[in-house]
Amino acid sequence: MANKHYAMVIDLNTCVGCNACMAACAIENQTPVWKNEWRTYVHDTEIGDRDDQVRRRFFPRLCNHCDNPACMTVCPTGATHKLDNGIVLVNDERCMGCRACAMACPYDARYDVTYADIEEGTNFYGSLQRKHPSVDKCSFCAHLVAKGEKPACVKTCVGSARLFGDLNNPNDEVAKIVASGVAKSLLPHVGTRGNVYYISDLERTS
Amino acid sequence: MEDMFYQPQIIWTWWIATYLFLGGLGAAAVIISCASNIYIKEHKELVLWGNLSAFAMLSIGSLVLFIHLLDHIAVIHVLNPLGLLTSPESWIMWGTQFILWMMISSMIYTLPYMQESTFWRKIPIIGMILGKFGWLGRLSLKFHKLIGWLAIITAAGTVLYTGLLLQSFPSVALWNNPSVPLLFTASAFSTALAFLLIVLYVFINREEDHALRTFYERTDVILIAVELLIVFLFFQYTTYGQESARASAAILWDDMGWLVGFIGFGLIVPFLIEFRGVTKGWNNAVPIVLAAIMVLCGGYLLRHYFLLAGVYERPYPAVNIIHHSEAEQVKLDDLTLS
Repeated sequence: MANKHYAMVIDLNTCVGCNACMAACAIENQTPVWKNEWRTYVHDTEIGDRDDQVRRRFFPRLCNHCDNPACMTVCPTGATHKLDNGIVLVNDERCMGCRACAMACPYDARYDVTYADIEEGTNFYGSLQRKHPSVDKCSFCAHLVAKGEKPACVKTCVGSARLFGDLNNPNDEVAKIVASGVAKSLLPHVGTRGNVYYISDLERTS
Repeated sequence: MEDMFYQPQIIWTWWIATYLFLGGLGAAAVIISCASNIYIKEHKELVLWGNLSAFAMLSIGSLVLFIHLLDHIAVIHVLNPLGLLTSPESWIMWGTQFILWMMISSMIYTLPYMQESTFWRKIPIIGMILGKFGWLGRLSLKFHKLIGWLAIITAAGTVLYTGLLLQSFPSVALWNNPSVPLLFTASAFSTALAFLLIVLYVFINREEDHALRTFYERTDVILIAVELLIVFLFFQYTTYGQESARASAAILWDDMGWLVGFIGFGLIVPFLIEFRGVTKGWNNAVPIVLAAIMVLCGGYLLRHYFLLAGVYERPYPAVNIIHHSEAEQVKLDDLTLS
Protein backbone atom coordinates (compact mmCIF):
# COMPACT_ATOMS: atom_id res chain seq x y z
CA MET A 1 0.00 0.00 0.00
CA ALA A 2 1.39 3.39 -1.01
CA ASN A 3 2.25 5.91 1.71
CA LYS A 4 -0.09 8.74 2.28
CA HIS A 5 0.84 12.08 0.74
CA TYR A 6 -0.87 14.78 2.73
CA ALA A 7 -1.80 18.10 1.16
CA MET A 8 -4.05 21.04 1.84
CA VAL A 9 -6.33 22.92 -0.53
CA ILE A 10 -7.32 26.48 0.37
CA ASP A 11 -10.28 27.97 -1.47
CA LEU A 12 -9.84 31.74 -1.50
CA ASN A 13 -13.47 32.11 -2.60
CA THR A 14 -14.79 30.89 0.73
CA CYS A 15 -12.28 32.29 3.23
CA VAL A 16 -14.16 35.00 5.14
CA GLY A 17 -11.15 36.21 7.13
CA CYS A 18 -12.50 35.29 10.55
CA ASN A 19 -9.02 34.20 11.68
CA ALA A 20 -10.46 31.24 13.57
CA CYS A 21 -7.77 29.07 11.96
CA MET A 22 -5.08 31.28 13.51
CA ALA A 23 -6.69 31.04 16.93
CA ALA A 24 -7.23 27.26 16.71
CA CYS A 25 -3.65 26.70 15.57
CA ALA A 26 -2.24 28.94 18.28
CA ILE A 27 -4.12 27.08 21.02
CA GLU A 28 -3.42 23.63 19.59
CA ASN A 29 0.29 24.25 19.00
CA GLN A 30 1.01 26.89 21.65
CA THR A 31 2.61 29.36 19.26
CA PRO A 32 4.18 32.64 20.44
CA VAL A 33 1.24 34.88 19.56
CA TRP A 34 2.38 37.53 22.05
CA LYS A 35 5.09 38.51 19.60
CA ASN A 36 2.77 38.16 16.58
CA GLU A 37 4.36 35.01 15.19
CA TRP A 38 2.11 32.31 13.81
CA ARG A 39 2.22 28.89 12.20
CA THR A 40 -0.67 29.99 10.01
CA TYR A 41 -1.66 33.55 9.19
CA VAL A 42 -4.46 35.17 7.19
CA HIS A 43 -3.46 38.20 5.14
CA ASP A 44 -6.12 40.85 4.70
CA THR A 45 -5.38 42.58 1.41
CA GLU A 46 -6.99 44.79 -1.19
CA ILE A 47 -6.64 44.01 -4.87
CA GLY A 48 -7.20 46.53 -7.65
CA ASP A 49 -6.56 50.24 -7.94
CA ARG A 50 -9.93 51.57 -9.14
CA ASP A 51 -12.82 52.16 -6.75
CA ASP A 52 -15.20 50.02 -8.76
CA GLN A 53 -12.69 47.19 -9.07
CA VAL A 54 -11.17 47.06 -5.62
CA ARG A 55 -11.88 43.81 -3.82
CA ARG A 56 -10.86 42.45 -0.47
CA ARG A 57 -9.04 39.17 -0.25
CA PHE A 58 -8.21 36.98 2.70
CA PHE A 59 -5.14 34.89 2.00
CA PRO A 60 -4.36 32.12 4.53
CA ARG A 61 -0.79 30.88 4.50
CA LEU A 62 1.25 28.26 6.35
CA CYS A 63 4.18 25.89 5.81
CA ASN A 64 3.77 24.26 2.40
CA HIS A 65 5.19 20.87 3.48
CA CYS A 66 7.17 20.76 0.27
CA ASP A 67 8.09 17.59 -1.61
CA ASN A 68 11.51 19.19 -2.00
CA PRO A 69 11.87 21.18 1.23
CA ALA A 70 14.69 23.71 1.06
CA CYS A 71 14.56 24.09 4.84
CA MET A 72 15.38 20.40 5.29
CA THR A 73 18.22 20.44 2.77
CA VAL A 74 20.06 23.24 4.58
CA CYS A 75 19.39 22.01 8.14
CA PRO A 76 22.78 21.01 9.58
CA THR A 77 21.56 19.00 12.56
CA GLY A 78 18.80 16.98 10.92
CA ALA A 79 16.24 18.73 13.13
CA THR A 80 14.05 19.45 10.11
CA HIS A 81 12.91 16.12 8.75
CA LYS A 82 10.19 14.67 6.58
CA LEU A 83 7.78 11.87 7.44
CA ASP A 84 6.85 9.22 4.91
CA ASN A 85 3.43 10.85 4.64
CA GLY A 86 4.99 14.09 3.38
CA ILE A 87 4.68 16.14 6.57
CA VAL A 88 7.81 18.18 7.33
CA LEU A 89 8.55 18.45 11.04
CA VAL A 90 11.08 20.10 13.36
CA ASN A 91 12.66 18.12 16.17
CA ASP A 92 13.22 20.90 18.70
CA GLU A 93 15.69 18.77 20.67
CA ARG A 94 18.07 18.71 17.69
CA CYS A 95 17.49 22.29 16.46
CA MET A 96 20.34 24.65 17.36
CA GLY A 97 18.55 27.68 15.93
CA CYS A 98 20.97 28.77 13.20
CA ARG A 99 17.96 30.00 11.14
CA ALA A 100 19.30 28.57 7.87
CA CYS A 101 15.81 27.04 7.40
CA ALA A 102 14.21 30.47 7.76
CA MET A 103 16.65 31.77 5.14
CA ALA A 104 15.89 28.88 2.78
CA CYS A 105 12.10 28.88 3.09
CA PRO A 106 10.42 30.79 0.25
CA TYR A 107 7.14 30.91 2.17
CA ASP A 108 8.23 32.75 5.34
CA ALA A 109 6.96 29.78 7.33
CA ARG A 110 9.63 29.83 10.04
CA TYR A 111 9.87 31.81 13.26
CA ASP A 112 12.07 31.79 16.35
CA VAL A 113 10.99 30.21 19.61
CA THR A 114 13.53 31.28 22.20
CA TYR A 115 14.09 30.33 25.83
CA ALA A 116 12.34 33.60 26.72
CA ASP A 117 9.35 32.48 24.62
CA ILE A 118 9.23 29.15 26.47
CA GLU A 119 9.06 31.06 29.74
CA GLU A 120 6.45 33.46 28.37
CA GLY A 121 4.50 30.57 26.83
CA THR A 122 4.39 28.70 30.12
CA ASN A 123 2.70 31.71 31.70
CA PHE A 124 0.48 32.34 28.68
CA TYR A 125 -0.79 28.78 28.11
CA GLY A 126 -0.53 27.48 31.68
CA SER A 127 1.83 24.68 30.70
CA LEU A 128 3.95 24.22 27.60
CA GLN A 129 4.62 21.02 25.67
CA ARG A 130 8.01 22.10 24.34
CA LYS A 131 11.17 22.27 26.43
CA HIS A 132 13.68 23.47 23.83
CA PRO A 133 13.93 26.54 21.61
CA SER A 134 13.83 26.02 17.85
CA VAL A 135 13.03 27.66 14.54
CA ASP A 136 9.43 26.49 14.55
CA LYS A 137 6.84 25.93 11.82
CA CYS A 138 3.46 24.38 11.03
CA SER A 139 3.35 20.60 11.47
CA PHE A 140 0.02 20.01 9.66
CA CYS A 141 -0.94 19.05 13.26
CA ALA A 142 0.86 15.73 12.73
CA HIS A 143 -0.13 14.62 16.22
CA LEU A 144 -3.84 14.97 15.30
CA VAL A 145 -3.37 13.47 11.82
CA ALA A 146 -1.72 10.42 13.42
CA LYS A 147 -4.99 9.89 15.31
CA GLY A 148 -7.02 10.14 12.13
CA GLU A 149 -8.11 13.73 12.76
CA LYS A 150 -7.73 16.82 10.59
CA PRO A 151 -5.37 19.72 11.44
CA ALA A 152 -6.84 22.23 13.90
CA CYS A 153 -7.11 24.98 11.29
CA VAL A 154 -9.12 22.70 8.98
CA LYS A 155 -11.44 21.51 11.74
CA THR A 156 -12.28 25.05 12.79
CA CYS A 157 -12.69 26.69 9.36
CA VAL A 158 -16.26 28.05 9.19
CA GLY A 159 -16.22 28.59 5.43
CA SER A 160 -14.74 25.17 4.66
CA ALA A 161 -12.00 27.09 2.89
CA ARG A 162 -9.39 24.61 4.08
CA LEU A 163 -9.51 21.02 2.95
CA PHE A 164 -7.00 18.40 4.05
CA GLY A 165 -6.46 15.05 2.42
CA ASP A 166 -4.28 12.43 0.79
CA LEU A 167 -3.00 13.01 -2.74
CA ASN A 168 -2.26 9.30 -3.10
CA ASN A 169 -5.92 8.42 -2.65
CA PRO A 170 -7.70 9.12 -5.97
CA ASN A 171 -11.08 9.15 -4.21
CA ASP A 172 -10.01 11.85 -1.74
CA GLU A 173 -11.66 15.23 -2.37
CA VAL A 174 -8.33 17.03 -2.09
CA ALA A 175 -6.69 14.67 -4.60
CA LYS A 176 -9.56 15.25 -7.03
CA ILE A 177 -9.33 19.04 -6.78
CA VAL A 178 -5.56 19.04 -7.23
CA ALA A 179 -5.80 16.59 -10.15
CA SER A 180 -8.41 18.83 -11.82
CA GLY A 181 -5.84 21.63 -12.02
CA VAL A 182 -8.15 24.21 -10.44
CA ALA A 183 -5.91 24.48 -7.39
CA LYS A 184 -2.32 25.70 -7.83
CA SER A 185 0.69 25.55 -5.53
CA LEU A 186 2.68 28.70 -4.75
CA LEU A 187 6.00 29.64 -6.36
CA PRO A 188 6.24 26.58 -8.64
CA HIS A 189 9.32 28.05 -10.36
CA VAL A 190 11.37 27.83 -7.13
CA GLY A 191 11.23 24.04 -7.29
CA THR A 192 10.20 23.33 -3.71
CA ARG A 193 6.93 21.66 -4.85
CA GLY A 194 4.69 22.78 -2.04
CA ASN A 195 1.71 20.72 -0.93
CA VAL A 196 -0.60 23.64 -0.10
CA TYR A 197 -2.77 24.42 -3.12
CA TYR A 198 -4.89 27.52 -3.67
CA ILE A 199 -8.13 27.93 -5.61
CA SER A 200 -8.00 31.51 -6.88
CA ASP A 201 -10.84 33.91 -6.17
CA LEU A 202 -9.98 36.09 -9.15
CA GLU A 203 -10.49 33.80 -12.12
CA ARG A 204 -14.13 33.07 -11.30
CA THR A 205 -15.21 36.68 -10.92
CA SER A 206 -13.10 38.56 -13.46
CA MET B 1 -2.16 34.12 -9.08
CA GLU B 2 -1.50 37.53 -7.59
CA ASP B 3 1.03 40.30 -7.07
CA MET B 4 4.36 39.27 -5.69
CA PHE B 5 6.17 40.93 -2.81
CA TYR B 6 9.90 41.63 -2.81
CA GLN B 7 11.51 42.12 0.57
CA PRO B 8 15.16 42.05 1.67
CA GLN B 9 15.97 39.45 4.29
CA ILE B 10 16.70 40.72 7.79
CA ILE B 11 17.51 37.41 9.51
CA TRP B 12 21.23 37.11 8.75
CA THR B 13 22.91 40.50 9.05
CA TRP B 14 26.35 41.84 10.02
CA TRP B 15 27.17 38.89 12.27
CA ILE B 16 26.92 36.38 9.44
CA ALA B 17 28.81 38.82 7.16
CA THR B 18 31.56 38.89 9.82
CA TYR B 19 31.54 35.09 10.04
CA LEU B 20 31.74 34.66 6.25
CA PHE B 21 34.46 37.31 5.95
CA LEU B 22 36.68 35.96 8.72
CA GLY B 23 36.01 32.36 7.64
CA GLY B 24 37.03 32.98 4.03
CA LEU B 25 39.99 35.19 4.95
CA GLY B 26 41.32 32.83 7.64
CA ALA B 27 40.92 29.67 5.57
CA ALA B 28 42.59 31.20 2.51
CA ALA B 29 45.42 32.46 4.74
CA VAL B 30 46.00 28.86 5.91
CA ILE B 31 46.13 27.63 2.30
CA ILE B 32 48.54 30.35 1.17
CA SER B 33 50.89 30.16 4.15
CA CYS B 34 51.04 26.34 4.19
CA ALA B 35 51.40 26.04 0.39
CA SER B 36 54.09 28.77 0.37
CA ASN B 37 55.95 26.97 3.14
CA ILE B 38 55.77 23.61 1.36
CA TYR B 39 56.33 24.60 -2.27
CA ILE B 40 57.88 28.09 -2.50
CA LYS B 41 60.27 28.47 0.44
CA GLU B 42 60.36 27.38 4.04
CA HIS B 43 59.01 30.36 5.97
CA LYS B 44 58.28 29.61 9.62
CA GLU B 45 57.29 33.18 10.50
CA LEU B 46 54.76 33.28 7.68
CA VAL B 47 53.22 29.99 8.86
CA LEU B 48 53.11 31.28 12.44
CA TRP B 49 51.47 34.53 11.42
CA GLY B 50 49.15 33.02 8.82
CA ASN B 51 47.93 29.98 10.73
CA LEU B 52 47.69 31.55 14.18
CA SER B 53 45.86 34.58 12.78
CA ALA B 54 43.55 32.23 10.91
CA PHE B 55 42.88 30.34 14.12
CA ALA B 56 41.98 33.61 15.84
CA MET B 57 39.78 34.73 12.93
CA LEU B 58 37.89 31.43 12.74
CA SER B 59 37.48 31.44 16.52
CA ILE B 60 36.01 34.95 16.48
CA GLY B 61 33.79 34.19 13.47
CA SER B 62 32.52 30.94 14.97
CA LEU B 63 31.95 32.63 18.34
CA VAL B 64 29.86 35.37 16.70
CA LEU B 65 27.76 32.67 15.03
CA PHE B 66 27.53 30.60 18.21
CA ILE B 67 26.32 33.55 20.27
CA HIS B 68 23.43 34.05 17.85
CA LEU B 69 22.19 30.43 18.03
CA LEU B 70 18.89 29.80 19.81
CA ASP B 71 20.06 26.64 21.59
CA HIS B 72 23.78 26.53 22.34
CA ILE B 73 23.71 22.97 23.67
CA ALA B 74 22.26 21.55 20.43
CA VAL B 75 25.40 22.68 18.59
CA ILE B 76 26.87 19.32 19.63
CA HIS B 77 24.92 17.74 16.75
CA VAL B 78 26.81 19.78 14.18
CA LEU B 79 30.21 19.22 15.82
CA ASN B 80 29.76 15.45 15.56
CA PRO B 81 31.41 14.29 12.27
CA LEU B 82 28.84 11.49 12.00
CA GLY B 83 26.33 14.23 11.24
CA LEU B 84 27.74 14.22 7.71
CA LEU B 85 25.99 10.87 7.26
CA THR B 86 22.60 12.18 8.38
CA SER B 87 22.79 15.69 6.88
CA PRO B 88 25.06 15.32 3.81
CA GLU B 89 23.15 17.99 1.87
CA SER B 90 23.70 20.72 4.46
CA TRP B 91 26.56 23.06 3.73
CA ILE B 92 26.57 24.31 7.32
CA MET B 93 27.25 20.73 8.41
CA TRP B 94 30.14 20.42 5.92
CA GLY B 95 31.39 23.92 6.74
CA THR B 96 31.47 23.25 10.46
CA GLN B 97 33.47 20.07 9.91
CA PHE B 98 35.84 21.81 7.47
CA ILE B 99 36.41 24.63 9.96
CA LEU B 100 36.89 22.25 12.88
CA TRP B 101 39.44 20.02 11.15
CA MET B 102 41.14 22.96 9.46
CA MET B 103 41.71 24.63 12.83
CA ILE B 104 43.04 21.38 14.33
CA SER B 105 45.29 20.41 11.41
CA SER B 106 46.67 23.93 10.86
CA MET B 107 47.49 24.21 14.56
CA ILE B 108 49.26 20.82 14.53
CA TYR B 109 51.15 21.95 11.42
CA THR B 110 52.21 25.16 13.22
CA LEU B 111 53.01 23.48 16.55
CA PRO B 112 56.69 22.59 15.89
CA TYR B 113 57.40 26.19 14.83
CA MET B 114 55.78 27.48 18.03
CA GLN B 115 57.86 25.06 20.08
CA GLU B 116 61.05 26.30 18.37
CA SER B 117 60.16 29.94 19.03
CA THR B 118 61.46 31.51 22.24
CA PHE B 119 58.70 34.12 22.02
CA TRP B 120 55.92 31.52 22.33
CA ARG B 121 57.79 29.36 24.86
CA LYS B 122 58.17 32.37 27.18
CA ILE B 123 54.44 33.09 27.38
CA PRO B 124 53.37 31.57 30.75
CA ILE B 125 50.44 29.23 30.04
CA ILE B 126 51.11 28.72 26.33
CA GLY B 127 54.74 27.84 27.04
CA MET B 128 53.64 25.18 29.50
CA ILE B 129 51.13 23.73 26.99
CA LEU B 130 53.77 23.70 24.25
CA GLY B 131 56.06 21.78 26.57
CA LYS B 132 53.40 19.17 27.32
CA PHE B 133 52.72 18.61 23.63
CA GLY B 134 56.31 18.01 22.59
CA TRP B 135 55.35 14.54 21.31
CA LEU B 136 52.72 16.06 19.04
CA GLY B 137 55.26 18.53 17.65
CA ARG B 138 57.67 15.67 16.84
CA LEU B 139 54.84 13.71 15.24
CA SER B 140 53.85 16.79 13.25
CA LEU B 141 57.39 17.20 11.90
CA LYS B 142 57.45 13.55 10.88
CA PHE B 143 54.32 13.95 8.75
CA HIS B 144 54.60 17.69 8.17
CA LYS B 145 53.76 17.78 4.46
CA LEU B 146 50.82 15.43 4.91
CA ILE B 147 49.39 17.51 7.78
CA GLY B 148 49.98 20.65 5.71
CA TRP B 149 47.94 19.17 2.90
CA LEU B 150 45.19 18.16 5.33
CA ALA B 151 45.06 21.78 6.47
CA ILE B 152 45.04 23.00 2.86
CA ILE B 153 42.21 20.66 1.80
CA THR B 154 39.97 21.42 4.78
CA ALA B 155 40.71 25.14 4.38
CA ALA B 156 39.76 24.93 0.70
CA GLY B 157 36.47 23.37 1.80
CA THR B 158 35.95 26.23 4.23
CA VAL B 159 36.60 28.86 1.56
CA LEU B 160 34.18 27.22 -0.85
CA TYR B 161 31.58 26.70 1.87
CA THR B 162 31.24 30.42 2.59
CA GLY B 163 29.86 30.93 -0.92
CA LEU B 164 27.98 27.65 -1.21
CA LEU B 165 26.10 28.48 1.99
CA LEU B 166 24.41 31.45 0.32
CA GLN B 167 23.96 29.58 -2.94
CA SER B 168 21.87 26.96 -1.14
CA PHE B 169 18.94 29.33 -0.54
CA PRO B 170 16.69 28.89 -3.59
CA SER B 171 14.31 31.82 -3.32
CA VAL B 172 16.89 34.61 -3.52
CA ALA B 173 18.06 35.10 -7.09
CA LEU B 174 21.14 37.10 -6.04
CA TRP B 175 22.45 34.14 -4.03
CA ASN B 176 21.11 31.08 -5.80
CA ASN B 177 23.62 30.97 -8.64
CA PRO B 178 27.10 29.48 -9.12
CA SER B 179 28.82 32.86 -9.40
CA VAL B 180 28.45 33.42 -5.65
CA PRO B 181 30.96 30.73 -4.57
CA LEU B 182 33.33 31.90 -7.31
CA LEU B 183 33.15 35.53 -6.16
CA PHE B 184 33.49 34.62 -2.50
CA THR B 185 36.42 32.29 -3.26
CA ALA B 186 38.26 34.94 -5.29
CA SER B 187 37.57 37.47 -2.55
CA ALA B 188 38.75 35.09 0.20
CA PHE B 189 42.11 34.52 -1.52
CA SER B 190 42.47 38.21 -2.36
CA THR B 191 41.83 39.29 1.24
CA ALA B 192 44.16 36.56 2.54
CA LEU B 193 46.94 37.73 0.21
CA ALA B 194 46.31 41.30 1.35
CA PHE B 195 46.54 40.22 4.98
CA LEU B 196 49.76 38.26 4.40
CA LEU B 197 51.26 41.19 2.46
CA ILE B 198 50.65 43.40 5.49
CA VAL B 199 52.33 40.71 7.64
CA LEU B 200 55.30 40.45 5.27
CA TYR B 201 55.78 44.21 4.89
CA VAL B 202 54.97 45.42 8.40
CA PHE B 203 55.64 42.62 10.89
CA ILE B 204 58.24 40.33 9.29
CA ASN B 205 59.84 42.88 6.95
CA ARG B 206 62.77 40.88 5.54
CA GLU B 207 64.52 41.83 2.28
CA GLU B 208 64.84 38.15 1.35
CA ASP B 209 61.03 37.96 1.08
CA HIS B 210 60.99 40.37 -1.85
CA ALA B 211 60.27 37.64 -4.42
CA LEU B 212 57.47 36.16 -2.27
CA ARG B 213 55.87 39.58 -1.77
CA THR B 214 56.03 40.29 -5.49
CA PHE B 215 54.43 36.92 -6.21
CA TYR B 216 51.62 37.70 -3.75
CA GLU B 217 51.08 41.14 -5.28
CA ARG B 218 50.88 39.73 -8.82
CA THR B 219 48.45 37.03 -7.73
CA ASP B 220 46.32 39.58 -5.90
CA VAL B 221 46.16 41.81 -9.00
CA ILE B 222 44.83 38.84 -11.00
CA LEU B 223 42.32 37.93 -8.28
CA ILE B 224 41.00 41.50 -8.03
CA ALA B 225 40.61 41.52 -11.82
CA VAL B 226 38.64 38.26 -11.59
CA GLU B 227 36.47 39.79 -8.87
CA LEU B 228 35.78 42.85 -11.02
CA LEU B 229 34.79 40.56 -13.88
CA ILE B 230 32.38 38.56 -11.69
CA VAL B 231 30.94 41.78 -10.24
CA PHE B 232 30.28 42.96 -13.80
CA LEU B 233 28.50 39.65 -14.47
CA PHE B 234 26.38 40.27 -11.38
CA PHE B 235 25.57 43.75 -12.67
CA GLN B 236 24.23 42.22 -15.88
CA TYR B 237 22.45 39.39 -14.08
CA THR B 238 20.71 41.57 -11.52
CA THR B 239 19.90 44.51 -13.78
CA TYR B 240 18.38 42.48 -16.62
CA GLY B 241 17.41 39.31 -14.75
CA GLN B 242 14.36 38.06 -12.92
CA GLU B 243 12.33 40.31 -10.63
CA SER B 244 13.97 39.25 -7.38
CA ALA B 245 17.41 39.94 -8.91
CA ARG B 246 16.21 43.36 -10.12
CA ALA B 247 15.06 44.16 -6.59
CA SER B 248 18.60 43.28 -5.41
CA ALA B 249 20.00 45.50 -8.18
CA ALA B 250 17.87 48.37 -6.92
CA ILE B 251 19.60 48.03 -3.54
CA LEU B 252 23.17 47.36 -4.68
CA TRP B 253 23.63 49.69 -7.60
CA ASP B 254 22.10 52.64 -5.81
CA ASP B 255 24.21 52.38 -2.66
CA MET B 256 27.43 54.33 -2.21
CA GLY B 257 28.71 51.72 0.25
CA TRP B 258 28.61 49.10 -2.51
CA LEU B 259 29.62 51.32 -5.41
CA VAL B 260 32.27 53.53 -3.82
CA GLY B 261 33.12 51.43 -0.76
CA PHE B 262 33.38 47.94 -2.23
CA ILE B 263 33.87 48.42 -5.98
CA GLY B 264 35.74 51.74 -5.79
CA PHE B 265 38.00 51.52 -2.75
CA GLY B 266 37.74 47.74 -2.24
CA LEU B 267 38.61 46.68 -5.79
CA ILE B 268 39.50 49.37 -8.36
CA VAL B 269 41.82 51.58 -6.29
CA PRO B 270 43.84 48.68 -4.79
CA PHE B 271 43.95 47.07 -8.25
CA LEU B 272 45.52 50.24 -9.71
CA ILE B 273 47.97 50.59 -6.80
CA GLU B 274 49.07 46.95 -6.97
CA PHE B 275 49.17 46.99 -10.79
CA ARG B 276 51.50 49.96 -10.66
CA GLY B 277 53.53 48.05 -8.05
CA VAL B 278 54.02 44.97 -10.22
CA THR B 279 54.72 46.94 -13.43
CA LYS B 280 56.81 49.91 -12.29
CA GLY B 281 57.29 49.31 -8.58
CA TRP B 282 56.97 51.58 -5.56
CA ASN B 283 59.76 53.25 -3.60
CA ASN B 284 58.34 52.08 -0.29
CA ALA B 285 55.78 49.68 1.16
CA VAL B 286 53.18 52.27 2.10
CA PRO B 287 51.05 52.11 -1.10
CA ILE B 288 50.90 48.30 -1.03
CA VAL B 289 49.99 48.20 2.65
CA LEU B 290 47.35 50.85 2.03
CA ALA B 291 45.97 48.83 -0.90
CA ALA B 292 45.93 45.69 1.27
CA ILE B 293 43.93 47.46 3.98
CA MET B 294 41.43 48.61 1.34
CA VAL B 295 41.13 45.04 0.00
CA LEU B 296 40.39 43.80 3.52
CA CYS B 297 37.69 46.44 4.06
CA GLY B 298 36.26 45.62 0.62
CA GLY B 299 36.13 41.93 1.52
CA TYR B 300 33.86 42.65 4.47
CA LEU B 301 31.71 45.09 2.48
CA LEU B 302 31.16 42.48 -0.25
CA ARG B 303 29.64 40.05 2.23
CA HIS B 304 27.76 42.76 4.12
CA TYR B 305 26.04 44.03 0.98
CA PHE B 306 25.39 40.55 -0.40
CA LEU B 307 23.42 39.72 2.72
CA LEU B 308 21.74 43.13 2.77
CA ALA B 309 20.61 42.84 -0.85
CA GLY B 310 19.22 39.29 -0.65
CA VAL B 311 15.62 39.87 -1.73
CA TYR B 312 12.89 37.26 -1.32
CA GLU B 313 10.05 36.85 -3.76
CA ARG B 314 6.81 35.89 -2.01
CA PRO B 315 3.10 35.87 -2.82
CA TYR B 316 2.47 37.73 0.44
CA PRO B 317 4.48 40.00 2.74
CA ALA B 318 6.61 38.40 5.42
CA VAL B 319 5.06 38.41 8.86
CA ASN B 320 7.25 36.10 10.86
CA ILE B 321 10.37 38.16 10.34
CA ILE B 322 8.75 41.59 10.15
CA HIS B 323 6.10 42.83 12.55
CA HIS B 324 2.69 42.58 10.94
CA SER B 325 1.80 46.25 10.73
CA GLU B 326 5.19 47.01 9.22
CA ALA B 327 4.79 44.16 6.73
CA GLU B 328 1.45 45.39 5.48
CA GLN B 329 2.93 48.86 5.10
CA VAL B 330 5.91 47.47 3.19
CA LYS B 331 3.46 45.75 0.84
CA LEU B 332 2.24 49.08 -0.53
CA ASP B 333 5.78 50.11 -1.46
CA ASP B 334 6.69 46.71 -2.81
CA LEU B 335 3.73 46.52 -5.15
CA THR B 336 5.51 48.95 -7.42
CA LEU B 337 8.03 46.21 -8.16
CA SER B 338 5.45 43.69 -9.31
